[in-house]
Amino acid sequence: MKTWEYIVRRLLLLIPVLIGVTIITFTVSHVIPADPARAFAGGPKAQPETIARIRAELHLDKPLWEQYFYYLNDLIHLNLGKSFLENRPVTTALAQYFPATFELTIFAMIIAVPFGIIGGIISAIRQNKLSDHITRIIAIVGYSLPIFWLALMLQYVFAYQFPIFPLEGRLSAGMTSPTTFTGFYVLDSILSGNVATLLSSLHHLLLPAFTLGFATLAIILRMMRSSMLEVMGSDYIRTARAKGLSERTVIYKHALRNAMIPTITVTGLAFGGLLSGAVLTETIFNWPGMGRFAAHAVLGLDFNAVMGFTLVVAIIYVLANLIVDILYAVVDPRVKLGGG
Amino acid sequence: MGSFKKKDMKAGVLAILICAIFICIAFSGCTQQQQQPGNPEIKNPTTYVRYDIGEPKTLDPAEAYDSASCDEVFNIYDQLVTYHGNDTKTIYPSLATNWTVGSDQETWTFHLRQGVKFSNGDSFNASDVKYSFDRVLTMNSPDSGVAWILSQCMNLNSTTILDPYTVQIKLKNTYGGFLALMAFSVASIVDKKIVETNGGVVANTDNEWMKEHSVGTGPYKLDHWTHNSEIVLKKNDLYWGGWSGNHVDTVVVKTADEASTRILALNSGDADFAYIPYENLVDIKNKTGVLIFNAPSYNVVLGLFNTESENTFMANKDVRKALSYVFNYQSAIDDAFNGYLFPLPGAIPKGMPYYETQNNGMSVYNHNLVKAAELLNASGYTQTTKFKGNFYRFNNTAIRIWYNSGNAERQKMALSFQQDLASIGINSVVSTESWPQYLNRLYNTVDWDYMFLGWMPDYNDPDDYVAPFVGSAANGGDTFHTGWANATVDQMINRAKFNVSTQIRSDSYATAFNIYINDPSLIYIGQESYTRGIRTWLQGYSYNPCIEYYYYNYYKAYK
Repeated sequence: MKTWEYIVRRLLLLIPVLIGVTIITFTVSHVIPADPARAFAGGPKAQPETIARIRAELHLDKPLWEQYFYYLNDLIHLNLGKSFLENRPVTTALAQYFPATFELTIFAMIIAVPFGIIGGIISAIRQNKLSDHITRIIAIVGYSLPIFWLALMLQYVFAYQFPIFPLEGRLSAGMTSPTTFTGFYVLDSILSGNVATLLSSLHHLLLPAFTLGFATLAIILRMMRSSMLEVMGSDYIRTARAKGLSERTVIYKHALRNAMIPTITVTGLAFGGLLSGAVLTETIFNWPGMGRFAAHAVLGLDFNAVMGFTLVVAIIYVLANLIVDILYAVVDPRVKLGGG
Repeated sequence: MGSFKKKDMKAGVLAILICAIFICIAFSGCTQQQQQPGNPEIKNPTTYVRYDIGEPKTLDPAEAYDSASCDEVFNIYDQLVTYHGNDTKTIYPSLATNWTVGSDQETWTFHLRQGVKFSNGDSFNASDVKYSFDRVLTMNSPDSGVAWILSQCMNLNSTTILDPYTVQIKLKNTYGGFLALMAFSVASIVDKKIVETNGGVVANTDNEWMKEHSVGTGPYKLDHWTHNSEIVLKKNDLYWGGWSGNHVDTVVVKTADEASTRILALNSGDADFAYIPYENLVDIKNKTGVLIFNAPSYNVVLGLFNTESENTFMANKDVRKALSYVFNYQSAIDDAFNGYLFPLPGAIPKGMPYYETQNNGMSVYNHNLVKAAELLNASGYTQTTKFKGNFYRFNNTAIRIWYNSGNAERQKMALSFQQDLASIGINSVVSTESWPQYLNRLYNTVDWDYMFLGWMPDYNDPDDYVAPFVGSAANGGDTFHTGWANATVDQMINRAKFNVSTQIRSDSYATAFNIYINDPSLIYIGQESYTRGIRTWLQGYSYNPCIEYYYYNYYKAYK
């Protein structure tokens, strides 16, 4: 099967995945005995007409299956409905929050991937030496530390006790965001030539990106180390060395590519996971991203927002897995996409 | 073998060193911040920064009903009348310089301030006033339902322009709290021209442009609003009050869900003002440059009795009186609210007109288990049912107590109440659920006996409290679905509502109080303290329950 055929097939498979996701999420969120209409309308101060209107708008007076088909009909018309908690369309909210999370994720991966891979390689080729011990300790600390604790400590030490970094947010308080081209403040600052917001956005990214990236770095480092060790013990590596190839060529030309495959899997899934929003990091650093949006939506039973967020996450995971599978074929020519 | 052990030892030492570094970082949080000599340098001298939870839903006065939205509306727009400082008794001129009420008690004439401009340069006059009120009534905000505040006494024929600077409002019925609701954010004056250019007024439809844009006569104008992050206001150079004296130029209100972030922001000076939960006030106490501000708010904490419960003893007034004696009010103040709760004698909070009509402000009920037991025994609900060695009342039927999850204060009160009930032989079950489920239980079921709830003011008039609390459902009350009703109380509520005479209103509220306090549908637990962390360099701040923040008065300096 050609690559483009494989990609198209995988993208078409996205449709039944999304339908399945919407059915499950819709059912679970709607069977909880609750009164979201009254909660949205102001709780005890809600006016009866307002509650009735919201109920009608959400079709809460209809059977569940009928509510779902109303939802599906809106979805086909790319209408994700209104977020009652934010009092604006879900698409507008997601359009603001997704770039914020995406930007944070990119920078977290910039920290995690190169350092994780290099650390894993060093750890493997210098097994049981001091550098191996150091990197292994870093890895253990990285995936053992609760992320909220790391976030709180970094904030306390580097934004309060020794105020090198800002405490929270994407920009300095009161600073107007750069002209919106993409929603990524760093990129938009560059595109609009706004040096002040470029520096501020980078400065604000560092602590939360490090918080998120550190745990991912640890996972990548461990995976890279173990797969490198496995590959380095293979017969063909021994043959390469016996042929007199330099150690550099053996490691970077022959071993690394094979060792990368499990690392690619882990990296892809980690990327997808981060993109769905890191609630704790975003909450502590007051980052207006998908994680916080989702947390508010779930706690407030904002159905439309929950459904919208779930759809986005499903799409992210499917695309992340697709990219990982394509990268397999790039890294390992033996892998044929589609199995053909 | 020897070199292997040496390497192991090196690795071990290194591991211990790295762990020690992390432990030092962890424990650095436990050290006291060194006291700085003198006053800390003022950060952002012309900008007021507040860290808070929740963010506005809209900036449209005809839609704004939640407190976060109203906070900003009050600073971008003006109303005809207003409050000053922490004075809740007097209504002051704003866009109206003076006013009169006719002998029919329904016709109000307002003389408007001249020379006022909106922030875009448009001139303010009577047509904007009529437009603003008619807009609220026509729009009838479907998202918030706030229009009821005006529509309870006004309709589209009410407002008449007598001349460019005089409007007359003929109410459809006398309303004792009319001036108070004229000071509320829903009565803000908008620029007719700008609204007509941006969507106009459509019946029963919110204006999407006005949600996120604003042109008002108030001291500030919107600079930008990044949802779930911050809202920024800048000074309106055309403000009629002028800018001589000390005022902040810029206002930044940040939405920060995490209490630790707000605490660090306040302690570091990044925030001038922050909402700190009661249990975290210890983290800002005695910090350099920070003080804790507190004053009675109009937010009240209530316990609700379900008189329509399938546990029919809840319909018995003596049972409810007994339960009112079981509740430990002082424990609620000291333990649940860490001292930041004031006693509440009845429906009207302290500071609001006619508070004294409630037993002169003295609580009728106190924590008295002996009295509670006497009442129950006299009603025939004695401890007759034996269960696991103890004797219980109500055939050992458990009273179902609910609180909404995440509310630490209500949880503490619920558990304390349960303990006290057990001590006089009443079994109970304490349960919790999320807010939407909690509301569902309260409004759509009778599967509860006792719940906790709160209430915040719409405007500064007791009708906003007494009518919804103890009025019957048929009279537009019983907001808490207790099922309680009393015809005389309804009569008194209506008498006070449709009168401007202070004497008549006072007598009516006093009569109503004497009835409903002796047949309680609610436990009046307390009046919350408005408690915030403030930097000592912030001047001009005063708390008014009717207008929580008035940024124009704020400036940063050391006294």
